[in-house]
Amino acid sequence: MSYFWIKAGLRRWPRVVLPASAGLFLLLCFTPGLAACQSSDGEKAIPILTGTAGYFNFVTAGQNQVDAQINPVLLVPLGDRWLVESRAEFEGAFQRPPDGGSYGGMVSKNLDYLQADYIANTYLTVTMGRFLTPFGIFNERLYPIWIRSLQQDPLILPLSAESSDGMMLRGGFPVNAKVNLNYAAYVSAVSSGHNNLESDRNVGGRMGIFLPGPRVEVGASWQKLLQDERTHSFGFHFAWQPMRFPLNIHSEYARSNQGSGYWIDGAYRLSQVLFWQKALRRLEFAGRAEQFFNGQISSDEAQALGLPAANTREGEFGLNYYLHDGLKAVASYGRQFSSAGNLNLWTVGIAYRFAVPLGRVGSQ
Amino acid sequence: MKYKSLAIIWLLALISAIGVASSAPRTRRATEPAVYSSAEADAMRLEGEKRFRANCNRCHAAPHKFPPRMMATIVRHMRVRATITDDDMRYILYYMTQ
Repeated sequence: MSYFWIKAGLRRWPRVVLPASAGLFLLLCFTPGLAACQSSDGEKAIPILTGTAGYFNFVTAGQNQVDAQINPVLLVPLGDRWLVESRAEFEGAFQRPPDGGSYGGMVSKNLDYLQADYIANTYLTVTMGRFLTPFGIFNERLYPIWIRSLQQDPLILPLSAESSDGMMLRGGFPVNAKVNLNYAAYVSAVSSGHNNLESDRNVGGRMGIFLPGPRVEVGASWQKLLQDERTHSFGFHFAWQPMRFPLNIHSEYARSNQGSGYWIDGAYRLSQVLFWQKALRRLEFAGRAEQFFNGQISSDEAQALGLPAANTREGEFGLNYYLHDGLKAVASYGRQFSSAGNLNLWTVGIAYRFAVPLGRVGSQ
Repeated sequence: MKYKSLAIIWLLALISAIGVASSAPRTRRATEPAVYSSAEADAMRLEGEKRFRANCNRCHAAPHKFPPRMMATIVRHMRVRATITDDDMRYILYYMTQ
């Protein structure tokens, strides 16, 4: 009975259900009582232009690639509960042709996110627009070049869509004094193959538990593609920041029909060393181990998605030196082992984070 | 199939709207201008620093302190991005603006 009711409802969806639910949605959102909600900010927030800029040399199997990028982030708070935020990515990757000559290449432009966030209450934030897909932790939290401890992307990053277009519900709240819960659930309604605005139709979610005492976070992600082969992906993530050492450990596992794999990385800041403190406290050692296993797609398809064409193992070690707040010099060496051939990965570069107010910074 | 995905979107929208409607208006919050005794202010700073280290340092090194009105925007952005709890956000904002 309920099946027929649902089927009939869905058939009448455009004419009846859509206007009714839209009306209810607007009514609930803009009832006068809600206007009484107060600001969670003591100071009035102002728009900010922030972001990162970087210059890197990636030497992969002896082939040098010069990479220059700028990733501006615009943050526009509206009232006490709204935030409109956007990040674009402009990246030039230039290589010398194999037969010699000057460097040449493409400048890619991407809109990573353009979203409106409504902080509804302690438990819920509603996001609409184009947003970073909350699958694992790297894509949302560790992607910016001034944050990531190693500049190479993890091998499994392309296993889930980087951006989605639609709607998301998310939040984080304490379950008790020792446990915080965070979640995200989303629907991406737009399938776009446009170069700068790629996205798939999918639905998914992520849930994590953070223990503030031992500073441990564990979580799981899930995604179902609503197009093509309608495949599932799932993954797990882990983060740990020990109390006694300036060490940060992150890890992810992901699996889909395109492949599976994991990465684990650690970054150790030499802030506790007793000698040459002025210089050494700015230095960070970083390392990553990762592995990728082929899925049910051809090697050509895998390469088109940015995945390795064959089963691959990789180890990488790097040094980061924080010259100034938001400015760091990076260098790393990695070795990749694969049936398609082993190769060395060298990275040298500099990453900078900037933040410029777009309003008066004095007291309100 | 198209209708099904539309139905899912609107179901999410409705759930969120209900969530909005059910949120009770709050009274004054910790970071709103208020007069704290010296001991209270110290305690809040300490708690803010502790929460900053637990939440923010999990991903990135401590930035220098920005002006309060910039910090209010940055913390709101990070609340959404890193799903920081309401309490954590208020303590961190206090710590970063004192």
